[in-house]
Amino acid sequence: MNEVEIGAKIKNAQINNALGVFIITFGIIVIFAMVYTETFVQQMTDLVAGMVLVIIGGGMIWKSRRTIKKFKKTNEK
Amino acid sequence: MLAGIDYFIVIAYILGMLLLGLYFKKFVNSSEDYFLGGKSLPFWAIGMSIVVSDIGALDFVGVSGQAYRYGVSVGNFDWVGSVPAMILAAFIFIPYFWRGGMYTIPEYLGRRYNKSVRTIASVTWILFFALDLGVLFWASAVLLNVLMGWPIWISILSTAGVVGLYTYFGGITAVIMTDVVQMIIMFTGGFALVYLSLDAVGGWENMVEKISTMGPEYRSHFDIIQPSDTKSPFPWTGILFGLTFVMANAYMIGNQSIVQRCLTAKNEWHAKASMIFGSALKMFVPILVLFPGLMAVVVHPELADGDQALPMMIKSILPPGLVGLMFAAFFAGLMSSVDSLLNSTATLFTKDIYEPYIKQDATDKHYLKVGQITTLVLLVIGVITSPISSDFPGIYVAIQTFMSYFQGPLFAILLLGIFWKRTTQWGGLSALVIGIGFAIFLNVFKDQFFTIEDPFLYISWWSFLLAFIINIAVSFMTKKHSEESLKGLVFSSKILTQNKSL
Repeated sequence: MNEVEIGAKIKNAQINNALGVFIITFGIIVIFAMVYTETFVQQMTDLVAGMVLVIIGGGMIWKSRRTIKKFKKTNEK
Repeated sequence: MLAGIDYFIVIAYILGMLLLGLYFKKFVNSSEDYFLGGKSLPFWAIGMSIVVSDIGALDFVGVSGQAYRYGVSVGNFDWVGSVPAMILAAFIFIPYFWRGGMYTIPEYLGRRYNKSVRTIASVTWILFFALDLGVLFWASAVLLNVLMGWPIWISILSTAGVVGLYTYFGGITAVIMTDVVQMIIMFTGGFALVYLSLDAVGGWENMVEKISTMGPEYRSHFDIIQPSDTKSPFPWTGILFGLTFVMANAYMIGNQSIVQRCLTAKNEWHAKASMIFGSALKMFVPILVLFPGLMAVVVHPELADGDQALPMMIKSILPPGLVGLMFAAFFAGLMSSVDSLLNSTATLFTKDIYEPYIKQDATDKHYLKVGQITTLVLLVIGVITSPISSDFPGIYVAIQTFMSYFQGPLFAILLLGIFWKRTTQWGGLSALVIGIGFAIFLNVFKDQFFTIEDPFLYISWWSFLLAFIINIAVSFMTKKHSEESLKGLVFSSKILTQNKSL
């Protein structure tokens, strides 16, 4: 893999990291919004929807940070 | 008006979008970065962006409203009206556009036919996009005014400020990546809405039974295929010929804002995969959009305007938190439509008008600056023209109708351009001009030719057919292009075998 390809991989990982942070933040806000719900069904809906966003966002952050770490090491070598 | 946590979410979402968009500034160093994201984006992001760009917020509300009024037949627009066209685009058209290193669809038309075809197509798109901008700004402002209670002008300026800043700095990367966030949030909220709505109406079978017994006007609400003499705008003849054969293909293959996204892919495989992934996501859109509209017939049977169905369902069914998130996603949908128009118009102007006619052989930085300045100028035009939309309530429909008339002839010349070597520059030019003229003629005298109220599907079919015939006839009468000049521009079975090695 040449330097340009490594640069592109790092760029995409940085983008995904930013998206992940955005999505996870809103997942946490939706979970927090459970405080304002009135029924059990509403509570569970907020919990499930919030968890979905947290898992997607968290997954994106985890994957992109791993990629950045891996390719920065390759670049240094 | 929203209150408490939901109000907070909408504000946080708008600010978050702005910060996210501005973050992408660091990835823009050349005009290719600005217009094509440096040709480095993955298929899944582009696929999501295509879907979001296609459904937009106005369509989300509009399709739900039509499901409320006419039933499931409106789902045709997202199934037969999108999926086959996206597959065709992925395997036939996108590889040519991508391999040719093109920035715009008119650029392909220019290489395949001549400069006049390129300029006519480009100017028509620019006019359409510029007019549409004002309408979208106004729609965003009305939404903010209703949800947050902000005055209209503050709403217009804040929308323009947020969208303008991130599109100006981040280019198409910012446009696509903000769409990704929006799609994830729209789908999450959408599925929650469908689940809770089904719960509220007592399940699918119960809803079907209730709607079927509501009166004769609801009898065909669950017929996906409507007879040719239906009063709804979706007779099967129009759906098959106008939508599936012409408009869907023209939209997915000939629309600059859709195709430009595929051209940002890191390689040809990703370009094709983005369309296929987008088509898979498109299959879910009717579930998210259409079902709440149908369920609103049971939950809110008294609505005067069908377009209120979705907002009413969100307000009455979703819990706090998700209400704010869904409305924020709606607003983001409008922002997404605006940023797509801004970036696509800037690309069309810079590549098809400025570069060939005003300043050739300038530096790449110069064209990047032109693209950014065009974005700003369009932003100002959009803000200034937005109040006009409020004076003419039918302007959005008129603009969309105008677009549907252009699409038939455009698709005819694209189709023949790719598949028929014999078609010539004069065939393409006359087909485009006469086809558009014929569509306008049919629209002016529509009462004498058609029985349904809004025959846009039929008009696009007949204008396509005439343009197709004119192109063939004129091409036979004029000098054909040399084999050399057609290299890489017309379909060849070689492209399929080459793909295997990719």
